[in-house]
Amino acid sequence: MKLADGVRYEHALLRGFGILVRPELLAQLGVAVGDGLTIGSQRFTIRGVIDSEPGRRLGAFSIGPRVFVDLADLQKTGLMSFGSRAMTQMLVRVPEPQLDALVAGLRKDFANAFARVRSYKATEDDIGEDFARAEDYLSLVGLVIVILGGIGVSSVTRVFVQQKMKSIAVLKCVGARSMQLLSVYVAQVAMLGLAGSLLGVGLAALAMRAIPSLLSGTTPGVDITYALTLPAVAQGLGIGLLVSLLFSLVPLLEVRHVKPSLLLRDEVRPHRTDVTQVLVTLFVVAGLVALTVWQAGSWRVGLIVAAGFAGTAVVLHVAGSLLIRAIAPLARSKSFALRHAVLQLSRPGSQMRIVLLAVGLGSFFIIGVRSLQHNLVAEFQVNVTPESPDMFLLDVQSDQVGAVRSVLARYQPSGSAPARLLPVLRARVVGVEGRELRLEDYEDVRGRGSLAREYTITYRQTLEPNERIVAGALWDATPSAAGEVSVEQSISERFRIGLGDTIRFDVFGRIVSAKVTSIRYVEWSDSRAGGFMFVFRPGLLEKAPHGFIGFLRGPDEAAARARMQADLVGVAPNVSVIDGREILSAIQSVVDNVTLAVTVVGTLVLFSGLLILVGAVAMTKFRRVYEGAIFKTLGATRQLIAAVLLLEYGLLGVLAGGIGAGGAMALTWGISRYALDMPFHPLVGLSAAGVAVTTVLVAAIGVISSWEVLQHKPLATLRAE
Amino acid sequence: MIELRGVSKTVLSGGQPLTILHPLDLDVPDGQCLAIIGPSGSGKSTLLGLVAGLDSPSTGRITIAGHDITSLNEDALARLRGEKIGFVFQFFHLVPSLTAIENIQVPMEIAGRRDAAARAQALLDEVGLHDRGHHYPAQLSGGEQQRIAIARALANDPPLILADEPTGNLDSSNGRHILDLLLRVRRSRGVTLVVVTHDPSVAAVADARLVLRDGRPVAEETTAHGGLT
Repeated sequence: MKLADGVRYEHALLRGFGILVRPELLAQLGVAVGDGLTIGSQRFTIRGVIDSEPGRRLGAFSIGPRVFVDLADLQKTGLMSFGSRAMTQMLVRVPEPQLDALVAGLRKDFANAFARVRSYKATEDDIGEDFARAEDYLSLVGLVIVILGGIGVSSVTRVFVQQKMKSIAVLKCVGARSMQLLSVYVAQVAMLGLAGSLLGVGLAALAMRAIPSLLSGTTPGVDITYALTLPAVAQGLGIGLLVSLLFSLVPLLEVRHVKPSLLLRDEVRPHRTDVTQVLVTLFVVAGLVALTVWQAGSWRVGLIVAAGFAGTAVVLHVAGSLLIRAIAPLARSKSFALRHAVLQLSRPGSQMRIVLLAVGLGSFFIIGVRSLQHNLVAEFQVNVTPESPDMFLLDVQSDQVGAVRSVLARYQPSGSAPARLLPVLRARVVGVEGRELRLEDYEDVRGRGSLAREYTITYRQTLEPNERIVAGALWDATPSAAGEVSVEQSISERFRIGLGDTIRFDVFGRIVSAKVTSIRYVEWSDSRAGGFMFVFRPGLLEKAPHGFIGFLRGPDEAAARARMQADLVGVAPNVSVIDGREILSAIQSVVDNVTLAVTVVGTLVLFSGLLILVGAVAMTKFRRVYEGAIFKTLGATRQLIAAVLLLEYGLLGVLAGGIGAGGAMALTWGISRYALDMPFHPLVGLSAAGVAVTTVLVAAIGVISSWEVLQHKPLATLRAE
Repeated sequence: MIELRGVSKTVLSGGQPLTILHPLDLDVPDGQCLAIIGPSGSGKSTLLGLVAGLDSPSTGRITIAGHDITSLNEDALARLRGEKIGFVFQFFHLVPSLTAIENIQVPMEIAGRRDAAARAQALLDEVGLHDRGHHYPAQLSGGEQQRIAIARALANDPPLILADEPTGNLDSSNGRHILDLLLRVRRSRGVTLVVVTHDPSVAAVADARLVLRDGRPVAEETTAHGGLT
């Protein structure tokens, strides 16, 4: 634990009725270190101010400021007597390897008790879950970037070998053997891969240096050191090298087929199955699978992801072939440009198919990552409308309602809805008499797991805006002592509690029976007006001892909010006021950081996709330059050739973007539904934009990189062939 | 048909200017068959490329069918080629991704002719390959590819055919057939034909011969078939 003003924490500070407090408490009560404070019936002295506590989550909040006292002194406050509600937390340090087993074991042991067991890795709370999601997402995306980079390496190597054909033939003429040449080029690729990886490490080091200043102050209470670790550097270099080698090996094998006779005449190599190539391809595939397994850190996940990649490639390839077949009739067009653009795409053995696959994969991943990102961020999104409540009151007693209301009315901002005070009670289900479920007593209920937990219940006449009835009907406005309850949909489905069933509740020791007269759907993501599993008809519970919780829109001005809190303490000292704005801003800062990380990663994917595109387009460049020269010889103007190129690459872009967007939609759906467990929102706009951007980029890069086709005199090109 | 005045070509080779064609005057009347002969590197193909407007001369003026092509830009040159010149290359230069008949159609499609498909089939028949139209260049022999190239050169009925060593990449029997085909076409259509060649038999049947060595004309001869002016 860290204390303010450089004071070191030691247990002695708490001895003799010392307490440590959060800074908010000093501000709320107007006290300082050294002042006295009475808790319950015991007088304490404030000995220090807490700066940060270990194990407190980012953005965590508690009801009222936290105070630390000696456990022995707690008994002397008189607060821990019969009827008190207290929660005990035991913090245990366990050797890491035993952690998961211990958590699982304890959970099993305490399955039917009200003890919760969680490790620091726990993902039970929402924010922990969000972080776990973000981490899964980041490692997935890291793999995607690596694979995309590999596809780029593969295309560039293909072009490289094509460019070197003549040199290779010359070297073979003077006696070089295929294996020698192959090792020369493999060594070249390795050096380039290493140089690229070193550049990557350098960039990472710079980024690490920039992160703290970018994120400073956004992670209060958490000290994070950003540094490149040696294993990370080694891993980065290793992956860079491995990916460059694996992806370049198959295209480099082409070196073996270059014959010295190439220098004398053009020969078309007969298409034969190349056993070595097949074996090397298998080896490369095995290497990639191993890499994926290594990165995923698990055989299962690694194999699933690798199979996913392969499946995706096959599906995209088939989709591409089908699409190309679908557009083939356009080749009968009267327009020279359209006809030849389509002919180029649809010819058997066209390199454009490989380009289509590479660009399709690229746009698939980019659109996929972006739509996943949108879905993730949407999950995080906290919608705050100007009217929505931003202050919450807890534990308002029945006899304080009037006084509290009058304070709130004084501070109510004009135009906002008046404060709402909802009655709340704590209750346990102790029996169910239903058509499908019959639970005689509380022991039976406990056998049903979470149905036995303590629920917060309320009673009211109407539905909240975030609720709707899915079965049965809500009661009318008249109170009734007969006992009717409306059950939340998921509870009704999980425990098969239906309309007409009777549920027995234990409310502060009194057993209350209520008939289920409606099933409610609750939009939990919008539950700031309270989400309740069980809502009762008014008339039954009013007499039971219970408190109220309040939802209100506080004044906008910070000073007025503070005055209102002080006035509330004056009329109802036991009431806790939670300022939603502070919580929201804490959550917002977490959301902002996660969004930043996701955006950075998405941008990286975009860049690697662009590299693929450039590599892929470069692959087709030789053919284009050659054909451009022939077309020019036959009378084609530059405008006409440019039109062919624009249409050819535009069509390629539309197809690749379409394939990518379709695949991405499926991927996002699958991942949202099965891996990340969150609702899926189809992003039609994003997909359309993805197709448009892919089309424009492919067309632009295709035409720009073909600029020399337009500018060159045809003779030089044709002679060079 | 062809008029060259003071046409030369100088390129940079290793940073030094290298004249591959020294200033040359040449006139080829309509309907003549001119053979340009000479050893490798004598500037034959360069000269042919300049006449076709595939390259621009360093000095001088070239007139084709009354058009001064040295003043034309790339696109105007391309249009002129499409309309007036058919070109046959030593290495055929067919578009590999198009079938034989599609290759023949290309110049007509560029010119916007509506009868391209029918006419391409007629040309295919004319060069004796009526059943090979749907083969890709890689599926054809060298002689067949060159016939397709000739059919393509004839597509728009150009008054001028330029052939750059059309038999240079073929065996003697195939070379003979290609030459016969070119001469037959020339006779039947009355086109002007300029052939760059090493082959003495080609030179023998030409109306006129231009012999180049080191980029300079060393002899201009007229045979009994016609005349050089």
